[in-house]
Amino acid sequence: MLRCLAAAVVLAGALAALPESARAADPVPQRDVGFGVKNGHLTVSVGLQDLFGDAERARLKSGFATRVLIRAALEEVATGDPVAVAVQRAEIVYDIWDEKFAVRTSDGMGAERRSVVATPEQAIGRAAVLLDLPVIEGARLRPGAAYVLAVRGDLDPISEDLLIEVRRWLVQPARGQRRLGAGDSFFGSFVSIFVNPRIEDSERQVRFASQPFIWGPAPQPPPAPPPPKPQPGRFR
Amino acid sequence: MLARAGARLLVVAILTAGARAAAAAPDPAGSPTDPNVDAAPSPEEAAFPDANFGPHYTIEEVRVTGNRKTKTDLIVGELAVLGLAPGAVVDASDPRVERARYRLLSLGYFLDVQLSVTRGSKRGAVVLVVAVEERGTLVINELFPATSEATLFWGGADVSETNFLGRGINLGAGFVASTKPVVPYAHQGLGLRLHLGVPPLGGPNGVGLSVTGLYNDGSEFYRVSGADSDPDPGRFVATRVQRAGGVVTAGKTFPYDLHASAALREEWVTATYPPATAATAPIDFMINEGSSRVGTIALGLDFDNRSDPVLPRSGMRAAVSVEVGSALFGSDYGYVKTVLNGSFYLRMPRGALGFHVFGGVVDGVAPYFDRFFIGDLDLLLPRRALGINFSTQPAPSFLGSSLASQRYDNYAGRLLIEYAVPVWRHKGLVYGRDAFVAAGVLGMTNDEDSLTSPPWGITGDLGIRLDTYVGVFTISIANVLSRSSF
Repeated sequence: MLRCLAAAVVLAGALAALPESARAADPVPQRDVGFGVKNGHLTVSVGLQDLFGDAERARLKSGFATRVLIRAALEEVATGDPVAVAVQRAEIVYDIWDEKFAVRTSDGMGAERRSVVATPEQAIGRAAVLLDLPVIEGARLRPGAAYVLAVRGDLDPISEDLLIEVRRWLVQPARGQRRLGAGDSFFGSFVSIFVNPRIEDSERQVRFASQPFIWGPAPQPPPAPPPPKPQPGRFR
Repeated sequence: MLARAGARLLVVAILTAGARAAAAAPDPAGSPTDPNVDAAPSPEEAAFPDANFGPHYTIEEVRVTGNRKTKTDLIVGELAVLGLAPGAVVDASDPRVERARYRLLSLGYFLDVQLSVTRGSKRGAVVLVVAVEERGTLVINELFPATSEATLFWGGADVSETNFLGRGINLGAGFVASTKPVVPYAHQGLGLRLHLGVPPLGGPNGVGLSVTGLYNDGSEFYRVSGADSDPDPGRFVATRVQRAGGVVTAGKTFPYDLHASAALREEWVTATYPPATAATAPIDFMINEGSSRVGTIALGLDFDNRSDPVLPRSGMRAAVSVEVGSALFGSDYGYVKTVLNGSFYLRMPRGALGFHVFGGVVDGVAPYFDRFFIGDLDLLLPRRALGINFSTQPAPSFLGSSLASQRYDNYAGRLLIEYAVPVWRHKGLVYGRDAFVAAGVLGMTNDEDSLTSPPWGITGDLGIRLDTYVGVFTISIANVLSRSSF
């Protein structure tokens, strides 16, 4: 009887855990993003320099490449549908003989921009800042509709291929030392769980959402006695 | 709304990343309602089309720092597998550098690994510096606290030092001890294990060797009266069985996620039967009275391409092993034990579906501890700890199932389907939490003639699986019903 009661408690706990997922989720912080229009495209400007902490800044001088990947997605607020995504990737390499930082960036369209700068701050400024990054043709947006931009920056992102390989290494932590099952669970698969650190899919991440904004002129109300109030985030 | 936007971003990222190998992809990008579960960057996103950027270096020397315990040779050997050795040319953006870092991290000896270069003897020549931060490598593999009607308490632990002497040697020990079971003629249980595993000889792709020593002094229980479903310990009698011996195993990992192993096992067994007057009918104790010996050789093949060792979302693991006991190896028991074990995972919109298949056959006369035990297959019963059973609990009867009389059998099979839903992914002490529900059928028999319609039963579980910094913990209905922890 007691065991049935305890089982019922566990069952209730398990069921209660399911809807908690939404509550347990960290809220995405908001950050002010500059929106503009350039050559008919909606462009965004925002800095993600906080991808680099003190340790990451120090490691810029390792002589090996440091990579930054920034992904930005535009979503229509009313429908929740994503309408466009933009990507900027960057690489910073410190030349240990010339003692300068080489930076290359690309917005995903193929064209690369390369520069050489003297300080880590300048290098980070080139790599971790979106400056008039085109997101979508303005003509493809609905006038009067509200949009929000969600942004995720990754420092030294791990590709899917490497992540899969790493997880397989984790399956066999002490390579070649697995033993046959001999009727008990001694030295079972739990080894990998206790031994290995959790491998994230990048060194460091920054995620945020922009302030909402309304694209283009709002539909005019038919009689419109009082003039419409200006809305925050409106532009064009 | 903002939270949803964060999640939608990743949906967009996936949609625009082009075709991906879904079966081989890591954990899913996350559902639109859970912004904590992010997508890993696709290869197209993560890298420039032209990989070469920055200067080329010629490695003059590999220097390791921060390794107070781990031998430098071990670290240098891991790098050499990827071609990062003196004389090699490496680019500043060479992907092997990142692979080397994660390869070292996956050994489990380090909290962090960083690679850098310093100037060498001339322009273009460098010293490759590997800075490691070591971590504690004493780990708990398993804990055994549990209770049953027959045994008030049994408990123990299985621990190992995975980097013994800094040479990647795995040295482990396990024990389990119990109170005296209340079954007539039972003896207090004690199980001991010692394990030593050395890194693969000749480098990471070589042959690994391990030795496991075992000592068990425990009891096994045999029904003498009452219905099959009656767990009353007074209706059983016990033998006392002492086992001492060991297993020597050689294993090698091959390409394509394949691992092969061969093992030689020798055990000396002493069994003491209960007095003949304890039972009114003859009992098959499945072990020779007095002294006997078990000698076997086993071969195993293991294929594993699961996306994650802890909470898989795709891929599969399939293992087959054949163990032969024969007088050739000094055994008093002649048998062939074949076991097939497979797990297959399918990614689902909200989680993953796992199919677990188990099948085993013992042909010949094997000691009871090498046969298939109901507690190891039925999730609702306590399983053996270090090979010792402490319970008289029969398989529960649901929907007319007929497994209550089965305990140690020569034929066993099980099909289990599990659906797991990630409810939480986070950085911190608790990495993730999955809610899961599992249901399956199992069958066991000793009688070859009844293989077409063997005694069968249903099993299942429902609970939460936590992946934490200190291990995986399961809180489930089966834990409660089987009175065993985690």
